[in-house]
Amino acid sequence: MPGVTRRNLLITSVAALLLPRVALAQDPGAILRGAFDNWRATSSHGISEMTIRNASGTRSLSMESWTQGRDKALVRFTAPARDAGNATLQNGRRTYVFNPKLNQVIQLPASAMQQSWMGSDFSYNDLSKTEQIITDYNHRLIGTEQNAGRTVYVIEAIPKRGKPIVWGKQVLRVRDDYVLLGQQFYDQNGNLVREMVADRIGTLGGRPYPVQLTMRSLDKPGQWTRITTQSAEFDIDLPDYLFTRSNLQNPR
Amino acid sequence: MMETFKLLAPLAWRNLWRNPRRTIITLFVVSVGLWSILAVASFITAWAQSSRDATLRLLIAQGQIHAEGYMDDPNISNLMPPPGAALVAALNRPDISNWVTRLELPGVVQSEYKTLPVSLVGVDPDAERRISSIPEKIVEGRYLNGLEDDSAVIGLNLAKRLKTALGRRIILMVTAEDGWLEERSFDVVGVYDADTAFEDTYIFTGRSTMQAMVGVGDKIAQIAFEVPEDAALAGVVERLRAAAPGLDIRPWRKISLIMGAMDATMGGVIFIWLAVMMVMISIGVINTQLMAVFERTHEFGLLRALGFKSRHVLWLVTFESVLLIGLGVLIGMIAGAATVWGLSDGIDLSAFGKALEAFKAGDTLYLEVKTSDYIIFPLAIWALGILVALWPAWRAQKISPVEAMRQAT
Repeated sequence: MPGVTRRNLLITSVAALLLPRVALAQDPGAILRGAFDNWRATSSHGISEMTIRNASGTRSLSMESWTQGRDKALVRFTAPARDAGNATLQNGRRTYVFNPKLNQVIQLPASAMQQSWMGSDFSYNDLSKTEQIITDYNHRLIGTEQNAGRTVYVIEAIPKRGKPIVWGKQVLRVRDDYVLLGQQFYDQNGNLVREMVADRIGTLGGRPYPVQLTMRSLDKPGQWTRITTQSAEFDIDLPDYLFTRSNLQNPR
Repeated sequence: MMETFKLLAPLAWRNLWRNPRRTIITLFVVSVGLWSILAVASFITAWAQSSRDATLRLLIAQGQIHAEGYMDDPNISNLMPPPGAALVAALNRPDISNWVTRLELPGVVQSEYKTLPVSLVGVDPDAERRISSIPEKIVEGRYLNGLEDDSAVIGLNLAKRLKTALGRRIILMVTAEDGWLEERSFDVVGVYDADTAFEDTYIFTGRSTMQAMVGVGDKIAQIAFEVPEDAALAGVVERLRAAAPGLDIRPWRKISLIMGAMDATMGGVIFIWLAVMMVMISIGVINTQLMAVFERTHEFGLLRALGFKSRHVLWLVTFESVLLIGLGVLIGMIAGAATVWGLSDGIDLSAFGKALEAFKAGDTLYLEVKTSDYIIFPLAIWALGILVALWPAWRAQKISPVEAMRQAT
């Protein structure tokens, strides 16, 4: 398996280096696929900071995160002391949260998935349903923009008929090196509801990466959530036990 | 005894009209008091009935059948198969006017802006049109068409809270057979207007669509039935229990406990009003009769001197009260009945609209004359009036003729 993965990776990297523009212009779905693969890779480990500005003020949380494949993720908060130890595990379509004060693991009912994650502008669904934008939407390239000498593809994604998606459409901006620059969520009347913007692009773990992402809801002006990734490594070997309930409760 | 009565009755009648102003005031107090009791009783009864009918017509109907345990925990494991031949036969008897089957489960509705807990109800729209008032309460769009209809009808207030509208898409999530929350998108095709609590709770779709969504085959959650006569309900429930042992069959009083309690306490409200009015009437009667007795001290002395025994004086004053209050009661009854008949076209409350929505009554109240009210309340007031008037009468009979005669007129 690792061999296959590495070979795929090699092909992708070569393709990305050699003929991005040609390949990208033809298939907006592939552009998105590439952007999300660039973001999470086959596996990743990172340290980041989440800053939440809401009506009651600003607070910052430090967290460490691991991802594997497209449906496994573990986020563990490390600071401040008040929030340290809280962790969220996503494995397939199940999401678990661990609270050290209760020393309890709770599997979130799907009805709670739309709730705010740690008081931020992200919901649990935003964490677990990243794949949905690729599988459940029809994609259309609606334009290109120039950004710092690079081409940015503007892709409109409209939910496939019958899919359980509330948004009227999403508009995503992907740079030609597969960096996701922005994601906008529109309601069914075409009004912008929330927006995620990559404020800063850097290089992390040897690849171009949206180092700082800010999520805003338009009905809450002046409030936002910003995730700044401080360090990250990609395509590393992660042990299987990492994404288990027991590891969520008692980290090794 | 008869002799005394023949002598005293005309005397008492004539005495009443020696001071017409005082008599009319007392008549007024008694008749208005009784009139208000009768009118309030009619109004409260009409209101209670109207609000009860309006609420039951929404969804509850007069009775419901569930699987054992569903009422305590309305989830997917407490559903039941559609009614068998014996139960269908029992439901089709003439003492049940309509019945429907529904699938109802708690769920979550999601729009672009909000996620809210709701109850999703899968209905048979053709049967619902006969038993429920929701199809008539559609204010925008349409009601559902057929069991397979895969669109949703939602409440006005819920639409506002979700910031969604007719023609938009909402996502409904309901716990399915495998324990996972099943998601499905629904187009909003209709918006209904009931009371806000109801609007916030219930979303309707076709029953077959919902059964397929949660993967329960042909299982249902409830059978709701309607009886033409509420009085016959207990018998119908017994009969159904015999036809379907093992199912949880309840009359509406046991389904909506609040409504059952309201129904039971409505009578109490009338009696509180009765008590208040009785105190007012008592004060009025005692006051005027006592005044009358004091003013006529000289006269009573004279009567005694002419040969009246003291009990004759007692009888005379009591007779006056009997006549006076009896007349007042009669006027009050006539006024009460006239009020009800005058409003027989119904009291139109639609002008108050939203303000009265919380009381859940219909838009028009129809008052009725309840015979028992017109016997019990007048008799109670008459008896009470005479009872309290015994005190002035007793004061009158104690008057000593000598002392009374000595008083200057």
